[in-house]
This record gives sequence, C-alpha cells and structure tokens, in this order.
Amino acid sequence: MMARKILQSIFIASIGLPLAFLLLLSFGRRWPYPEIFPKELSLAAWGFLDNSNMISTFFLSLGISFSVALFVTLSAFFISKHIAYSKKRNTFMVLAYIPYLLSPVVMAVIFQYYFILVQLTGTTLGVIIAQFLIAFPFGVIIYLNFWNENLKSIEELSKTLGGNAFQTFVKVLYPLSKNAILLCFFQVFLISWFEYGLTNLIGSGKIKTLTVQVFNFVNEANIFYASFACCLLVIPPMLLMYLNKRFIFFAEKSE
Amino acid sequence: MPTPKLKNVSRFLFVAIVTVPVVSGMVYAALYSLGIIGILNTEISSKAWQTVFFGKPFWSAIGFSLYISVVSMAISLAVALLISIKWQKNLRDGLLGTAIYFPLCFPGTVMAFFSFQMLSKSGFVSRLGFNMGWIEDLRVFPSWIHDAYGIGIIFTSVLLITPFFIILFSNLFKTENIASFQHLAKTFGASNRQILWKVTLPILLKRASVTIYLFTIFIMGSYEVPLLLGRQDPQMISVAIIQKIQRFNLNDIPQGYAMSILYVLLILSVVILLFFRNKNFFKTSAV
Amino acid sequence: MMENILEIKNLDKTFGKETVLKNINLSLKKNAVVSLLGASGSGKTTLLKIIAGLEHQNNGEIFLNGKEISNIKPQRRNIVYLYQEALLFPHLNAFENVAFGLRLRKTPEKDVKQKVMQMLEYLGMPNHATKMANQLSGGQRQRISFGRAMIIEPSLLLLDEPFGALDSTTRQKMQELFKELAKTMQLSALFVTHDLKEAIVMGDSIGKIMKGHLKQHSDLREFYEDEESGVKKEVEFWKQFIN
Repeated sequence: MMARKILQSIFIASIGLPLAFLLLLSFGRRWPYPEIFPKELSLAAWGFLDNSNMISTFFLSLGISFSVALFVTLSAFFISKHIAYSKKRNTFMVLAYIPYLLSPVVMAVIFQYYFILVQLTGTTLGVIIAQFLIAFPFGVIIYLNFWNENLKSIEELSKTLGGNAFQTFVKVLYPLSKNAILLCFFQVFLISWFEYGLTNLIGSGKIKTLTVQVFNFVNEANIFYASFACCLLVIPPMLLMYLNKRFIFFAEKSE
Repeated sequence: MPTPKLKNVSRFLFVAIVTVPVVSGMVYAALYSLGIIGILNTEISSKAWQTVFFGKPFWSAIGFSLYISVVSMAISLAVALLISIKWQKNLRDGLLGTAIYFPLCFPGTVMAFFSFQMLSKSGFVSRLGFNMGWIEDLRVFPSWIHDAYGIGIIFTSVLLITPFFIILFSNLFKTENIASFQHLAKTFGASNRQILWKVTLPILLKRASVTIYLFTIFIMGSYEVPLLLGRQDPQMISVAIIQKIQRFNLNDIPQGYAMSILYVLLILSVVILLFFRNKNFFKTSAV
Repeated sequence: MMENILEIKNLDKTFGKETVLKNINLSLKKNAVVSLLGASGSGKTTLLKIIAGLEHQNNGEIFLNGKEISNIKPQRRNIVYLYQEALLFPHLNAFENVAFGLRLRKTPEKDVKQKVMQMLEYLGMPNHATKMANQLSGGQRQRISFGRAMIIEPSLLLLDEPFGALDSTTRQKMQELFKELAKTMQLSALFVTHDLKEAIVMGDSIGKIMKGHLKQHSDLREFYEDEESGVKKEVEFWKQFIN
C-alpha cells in the first residue's frame, strides 16, 4: 500500500515535471554545461510580453483558433445530424477519418497549390480555412456519438407535442447538446492551437502563431524564449481544463 | 424530420469538405509528379515516379515511420495497461484522476522541445550524469536525440499518447463492466493470472483496437516531433515529403509529390481494408 | 445435514452502519432448487455474493457439502454466480464462452469440443456456435451463459434474477428450459427473483428475504399459508373475476 502511494506520488510529480522544467528555463538567461539549473535567472523572456511581437503572436493564435473552433462547432453541429441519421453512416464515418489520418502537413502539401491560386497563402484567412478543412471532419466525428436513437425520439416527441423546428432546437436540442458543443469547441480549439506543419506551410511562415514562434526560437537556438513560448502554449489549455473539470469528465466519455 | 432538401445539402457539403481537398490535391500532385505542370517541367515523364518507387528513400521513410509508431504504441500500451489496471481505483477519483488529464494539454511541439532539453548531449539528464560522476564528458553521453534508432522520437511519442490510453482504458473498465467479468471468471475458478490474460486484457484490447489502429496510423504521419528530434537519415515520412517539396533543388519537387500520393494511397488502402474487414469498424471508434 | 449441499448459519452482514443481512439461516438440499423471493434492496444480491466468496460476512458460517468455506477463495469454491445480465465475454464467440471454464482447467481440446457441442445441443443452439455476443438475442445470451456455468459442473449455482431482462414470452421459455436442465444435470441452485410466480415455478422450496431477514419454508403449502408471502393476496385478486 505504501509503495503504491509513493509510486503514485512520483507519477503525479512526473506529470508536472515538463511544465515546471519549461517554466524554469523560461526564466533562464545563461545555462552553461554542466550546470543543472540555469545560472542566471531573468525576466527577459517574460518581459517580451509587454513590448514586442509576443503579445500579437499570442492574440493572433487565439484569434485563429477561436475562429476555427467556432466555424467547425457550428457547421459540424448541423451537418453531423444528417450524417448520423443516414443509412450510410458508416461510410461517411470512414470518409471523415481520412483527413484526420493523413497527416495535416501532407494534406497541406497537396492542396497548397489551390491556396496559392486564390492568393490565400501567407494570410490569416488562408490559415483559418486550411485548419477548418482539417478540423471539420473531426468535429463531425465528435458529434456523431451525440446524435443517437434516444435523442431522435426526444426530438420527435417535441414535434408531436406541437413544437416547431426552432422551438425544438431552442428548448430541446440545445440544452441537451450543450456539453457536446462545448466538447467540440474545446477539442477543435486545441487542434488549431497546437497545429504547426500546416499553419507554417499555408501561412508561408508569415503567419506567426505560437507554435511557429517556438520553431523560430529553436532554430535561433534561443532556448529561453522557446521555453517561454512553450509555456504560453501550454498554460491556457491547462487553465481551461482545470476550470472545466466537470466538463472534462464528460470529455472522457466521448473521446 | 428535416426536409429532404436540407438533408441532401448537408450531406453534399460534408462530402465536399471532406473529399474535395484530398481529391483536388491528389490531382495536382499527380500532374506535378508526372511533369505536366510545374516550374521546371517541360515534358511528361515518369522519372520522379521511378525514382520514388524503386529508390530507397520513400520505402525507408515508410519503414522507419512504421517502426517508430509500432514501438511507441507497444510501449505506451504496456505502460497504460499496467497503470490503468493496477491503479484502477485511484484513477477514478482523487488527485491521480485529475492529474492524468494534464498531459493532454501538451502539443507535440512542446513535448518534443522538452525531450530535447532533457535528453540531448547537453541536456538535463546529461548534466545530472556529469554532476553525479556517471559521465566524464558530455561527448560520452549516449545519443538519444537525432539518433539512428529514433529514441528521442519514441520517448516523446510515448509521453504524448500514454496518458490518452490510460484514460481510455480506465473508462473502458467502467463502461465495459470489467469488474463484473473479473468476478464471474473468479467464480469459474480462474486464477488472478488467468483473469488478467483471458479476461481483462483481451476485453480492453479488443474494445480499444480501433483506437489503437488509428493512433498507429496517426503517429506514422507525425511531423513536429521528428522534425525537432529526428535526423536526416532515416527520416519519418511527413518530414521526408516536406523536405523534398521545400528543397532548393527544384528537381526534387516532383518526387515529393509522388511520395505524397503514394503515402496517401497507402493510408487509404489500409483504412479501406480495415473498413471492409469489418463494416462496423468505425462505428464506435471515437469512443 | 450431510444431504444438504448448502447450509448457512447465523450469518450477518453490515456495510458501515447499515445492516444488510441479519441472522440468516438457509439450507439447500442436494439436486434441489431453492427460490429466494425478494424486492430490490432486500439484500439478496449481497447474500449470493457472500456465498460465492465475492463479499465477506461479518458473522456466521457457510457450509458447502458439510465443509466450512468462509475462508476459501471464490476460485476454489466451485460455486458459480450468474448475474442478471448474461455477461458473455465480448471477445469470445458462443462456443468459446461455453468453453471458458474448461479452458481454465486445461481440458484437452478433444473433450472441450465434444462437451461444448453437447451443451449447445442441450441449449438448442448448435447453429450459433460461432456467433459473437452482440449477434445473439437476450434469451440466447442467457442460454449461453447457463451453458457456460453448467459445463464445469459446479457444486452450486447461484442465479441472481437471471430472467429479469427478458420479455415475458422468452422468460417463460427460459424457465421451462432451466427446469429441464436442472433435472437432467442434477443441479443444486439458489434462484433469486422478485417475481412471485417465477419463485413458485422454479423452486422445489421457497424462501423470502425482506429487509435483511430470511424466512425459509419447507414446502409450498406452508409458503401459501404464510400471510407475509403474499400468495393469498394474489389468489384473492384473481378470485374476484371468477365469482
């Protein structure tokens, strides 16, 4: 029993290790070998927050991910219903998995040309559209579990009781689907927030999201700024997850 | 009931959004790889295809990707099964049950960067080793990053997917009523070992099989992690394709497109194979 | 006492402060079926789990064939406990589900085949051998679950509302099938149900468990006479339509 307690504590600590380590590095300045921890600490990287591009990078990422999540959550909600109740549901489902299984970056490679044609490469809109194309099928997959026979009966019941389509949506479907909608939004937001390969390719490196910046800093061998950008990437979803613990427990069921 | 019109529009939109990018992309890639369009292409030629199909780079990249994903998956499954079975009760509530969700907030990029800082020759582990007197010089520290066996890539992939499978298995424990099956087997006289091998593991693995297959394909296509931690040769497939296409040598681009078509076809045939072997394969796969 | 396969003496069970079973006494003759009537929450499932060894009593003794078994692991009791759901292993087909106990005992392949096929014949399901659990109907699943239990010839079979999830027609068919099997296979079984009629049909003798107390009747007549059994009320109800 004791051994199990200790092992679990070590395990939990190791879950926190990456974040602790990156946070420490983000405050670092000089880290000569063989020092275990950075020799000098500074707020230089974090000072980055108020003067330079970092703030705009952060908000650009936020804006892109928010838009993608919003568009996918809305469109997938209405479209997935007709997919779920179709007799060919399984076939549609296989189709939905394809963009998800082909690496997004490979997808970007093959459809990049059409983005160049309509001059969408290197633009925020282009990145949003490209990410939408990857995330939309995923959104549909999330909702497919939600549209089931039981819900269909409830919806039909509402109609036999005299509710029109709009009333049925507002009074029945929406309250029942709130969790699924939140889940879809959160998951798609994360997909977009974490995306690098496709974003970099379609954005031609000009659309500097946080992940793109991490790679830029790594290429410049600036590990302290890279750590800082990593922290900015990881902390917001962690906060969201912490705040929404109840909603996360819903997520476990559908994921 | 929705009007038939709305229904058809929805389904059309779905199919369009899902297939148009893939299909149109494939058409472009095919035209480019055959020399029909493209900057340097002047005549139709199957040269790129011959180079890719009969050359080593594509197949070694596929092989290396498969190796990375199978090994990562095997390690992750072993760890996740061990933890989710042994710590079943603690995972359901308490600190462990919450903590296990946090790694899901780590994207591949960040985890790869973390692995790099931990495992590289001048990384944290090497420094620890030096200060403990295990190594005398950072040059004798083993290569775990940019190495031939993809150790850094495997380590990172394991960190990324293991928590997911721990959560999946501990949920399956509940939804699949595993405790009841274990009780049942007990009254039939099964030993603890037999319960594990004949009941718990087969049920968990069977119910998770779809997810396991999908993740294996998914890891094969991973990009950020091998981009940071891999080396020039062997390369994982996504990195290899992007490199061909972004090369300064424009003659390599048709090969890059030929490689992406082959890769897409390969994945498609695996998916179709899985689907036709069992039509319900994808029905429950998101669970 | 030797003719009794199961003998429970003065058994108590509490969960924390709540007393679930109080001074339970029960005896079961060899090759007989005792029905136990009880509403949900009466403690009947706990009693069965204690007999199977999946739970432990606080006080009291359990004798199987005259031997005290309280400290014997469930694996070694040779008592099979069947749930309300058939709980067919989802990774095995019907044949392998029935064969499960034999495989645990490393029975030679030839014998496994022969015994399982014979059991499937008994159950009237020889054509369903290769089907998976999700391809079988509720009644079929329950039959396979019986076959899986009976093939290892347990000393005692514990059935916890085995037909509770079935529709009334299937339920009746299963009752007949079970009675027949019990006779041919010389089963000793404890059959728990909340259905008065089912309890009477299935049991050679009958007991009623209420709020943790158990009252066992030596025969059906005595059960009928007991005001608490509810049989008289039932009879009165039907009588009103006759007159």
